[in-house]
Amino acid sequence: MTNLKILGVVLGTLALYTWVANAIPQLESVVPEDLSFSADVTEEELVAAGQELFNGGGGCITCHGLVTRAPNLLTDHEGQGTIGQRCATRVPGADCKTYIYESLTSPTAYVLEGFDPMVFQARVFSGAQIWALVAFLQDQGGVVTVTGADVASAAEADAAAPVGGPLTASLDPLEVMRVNLCFGCHILDGEGIEIGPPFDGMGSRIDADRIRRSILDPGAEAAEGFEELLGQMPPTLVDMLSARQLELLVQFLAGQGG
Amino acid sequence: MPERTSLARTLRRTALPLLCAGAGVTLLSLLAEPLLAQGYTPREYGDFPIIGSRAAIWIAAQLHLFFAAFVLGVPMFSVVAELIGMLNKEERFDKLAKEFTRLLLISYSATAIWGAVLVFALITLYPRVWGYLAEVFAPSMWVYVGVFFLESLTLYLYYYGWDHWKKGRAKWGHWGLGVLLNIWGTLVMVIANSWVTYMMSPPAEVTPDTSPSMVRFWSAFANATWMPINIHRFIANIVFGGAIVGAYAAFRFLHAETDEERAHYDWMGYIGNFVAISALIVLPFAGYYLGREIYEFNQQMGTTMMGGFMSWLWVVQAFLIGVLFLAGNYYLWVGMGRIPGAERFQPYTKYLLAVLVIGVMVWATPRNMIASRDELTAMGGQFHPFLGVLGVMSAKNTAVNLMILTTFLSFLLYRRANKRPTISWVRRGTTIQGAMFVISAAVVLFFGVYGYFVPPIVRIGFSVYQVLAVLTTIIVVVALDVVMMRGAESRGEIRWGQMPDRSQYALLILAVTFTWLMGLMGFARSGIRQHWHVFEVMRDTSVDAATPALGYAAIVISACVLMFLGMVSFIFWIGGLAEKPVISGVGSVPPPEPATGD
Repeated sequence: MTNLKILGVVLGTLALYTWVANAIPQLESVVPEDLSFSADVTEEELVAAGQELFNGGGGCITCHGLVTRAPNLLTDHEGQGTIGQRCATRVPGADCKTYIYESLTSPTAYVLEGFDPMVFQARVFSGAQIWALVAFLQDQGGVVTVTGADVASAAEADAAAPVGGPLTASLDPLEVMRVNLCFGCHILDGEGIEIGPPFDGMGSRIDADRIRRSILDPGAEAAEGFEELLGQMPPTLVDMLSARQLELLVQFLAGQGG
Repeated sequence: MPERTSLARTLRRTALPLLCAGAGVTLLSLLAEPLLAQGYTPREYGDFPIIGSRAAIWIAAQLHLFFAAFVLGVPMFSVVAELIGMLNKEERFDKLAKEFTRLLLISYSATAIWGAVLVFALITLYPRVWGYLAEVFAPSMWVYVGVFFLESLTLYLYYYGWDHWKKGRAKWGHWGLGVLLNIWGTLVMVIANSWVTYMMSPPAEVTPDTSPSMVRFWSAFANATWMPINIHRFIANIVFGGAIVGAYAAFRFLHAETDEERAHYDWMGYIGNFVAISALIVLPFAGYYLGREIYEFNQQMGTTMMGGFMSWLWVVQAFLIGVLFLAGNYYLWVGMGRIPGAERFQPYTKYLLAVLVIGVMVWATPRNMIASRDELTAMGGQFHPFLGVLGVMSAKNTAVNLMILTTFLSFLLYRRANKRPTISWVRRGTTIQGAMFVISAAVVLFFGVYGYFVPPIVRIGFSVYQVLAVLTTIIVVVALDVVMMRGAESRGEIRWGQMPDRSQYALLILAVTFTWLMGLMGFARSGIRQHWHVFEVMRDTSVDAATPALGYAAIVISACVLMFLGMVSFIFWIGGLAEKPVISGVGSVPPPEPATGD
């Protein structure tokens, strides 16, 4: 009898926990589907693929389904409408397509006031997937202007520069920084935005070793006065640079003596 | 003759784990050879019938981890119990430590068997992943086998030498063996942790194009989440060991036939529960450290863990931890029934219960959940109009810190129940202790409320002040209590063994819940890699690449827990047949005569 009671308590406890876990909403982590579109892909195909990514493997609704972490893209935000309606007015000179594309590929480029930079990592997605997301977001109240040509050129770029490799072969430090969107957070001679530590005078504040460490492992040590931004700089930047580019950048920034 | 029998038994028991280790070494050496050179292309994935490869590897890994946690947690306790026995000249602690080690001895074989099953499952079902990890970590795998070998030898020396080296310097040497056993065990754990954590957080320089032979060993070994996992698992193993010992004691108590047995297993259950709950109190802090390092490594991974498809998991976790706190405290409150003098504290337990229940409710209140439009409409917005306020971290941190303080207070009342201090400053000391409780609760509440009025980055820092206030109170109050209770008079002997059966079922629920929680957290740790074998380096291209929902995970976890408890029960039963349990000699005091009034 005692054994039966013990068995009952054990089974009852397990059954309760299993029931609780099954009673709550069931969310599965979906694998992002590999997309291979030709140049004659239709708007509907792009939007449908983007929607699937947005709601599934892209992990977008983790933050954009909540108003606390990121603005909701599918509903109105502060009276400006849905993302398709407001995207063209966000940055002067940038049309809707450019704005969304750059926001995805360079999450620190256009950070909305009151929110942290987006944690989306475009490097793990193909060009076709990124453009499908852009098309889906444009479709939220706006006009889809993504075309098969965008997808085709992205596919060519993917083939030419494998994901994770250097984005440019240039050895011009300024060019390397522009391509890698460093000016999305740092400022140098009036170019860029001052979110992170300015490049102006960097060499007088820290030495070359520290600059190298900051690029290699940006989450390890906070810059003085920017402690609250620790962890915000993408740790993947180093994957986008060749060894020679990295050293060029380090020496260039160390030479900014102010 | 007894020595020869003992030696034969040692060899017999050593043989199985060593054979398993030997099989692992052989397989490792096979994999070290470049099979491709023979023109053979290995398959990427294998198939497992009916339940599939993912469930098969999941069950093998989980069962190995359950046993491993037990055989790592119990020696920590044994060595401390033995030391207490030596320092205080209390033989019952020495006997308790020996009985724990006897359980350990039998469980060790099961750990090795499931380790071998896991390795075979990896090789046959996930050969590409195994090949990759073997190439990156080959040196540490050899060291692992060597340390495992030393651990086995030390364990058998420790147990079978117990009665041989029991006096004078030899006893200290024996205790040193226990310490050594813990060192080997911890080394085995940290080596294996490096393989698991590398899959979660490979170094930044490793990309999908990086050949495993080019990965720098130490960089891979000491990856971003390695040390936080080491610390978290170290503490969790103590909790787990204590809980399983508590369950063992409860099982024996419920089957005990004599008062002496009941007294012994009642005392053992108390010790097991004390260890488990004490370590549980510090576990959340290790969890925060691990979570912070995950965010530091990759914010997207951190967000997926806390706010993504795993967000509901933390509601289930809160429910389980609520059960742990309630069951642990309930056991103590029931236990006060067998302590003369505890009656004076019993009126307060209802207030402690109220704090715990409210704390659990706040902790389990969700906030950042993925919700559909329909769900948002039904709720009237992103957050519930009233309960949404309780879902933020300020409220949750406040709740959990107050629950920890409450549990600590329960322990303190239990500890002081049958004591009457004799020092002159007892009133002042008690007032200081009370003031510490009030001040720390006030600090926790103040920062909890203030957190609503500051930006998130400032609010996160407040949790440190709350934790410091609680830890300081625990340390100061315990230190004060130890001094205050020196030379205290007894209000009467604890009536060990006179516990209602329901208290023992609380211990069983604690063990089941700890085990289930361990499985759940294992799913969280592994699941945040999502469709990657090695995060953002080696993609999972199998049919099981999608991480399953919590419902499916719960079924697998429950199955694993059931299998584990079934095997543990069998092992304990076998152990009971082989040797008579060592009764510690804890005095069972007869119940007081019922008052006979006129």
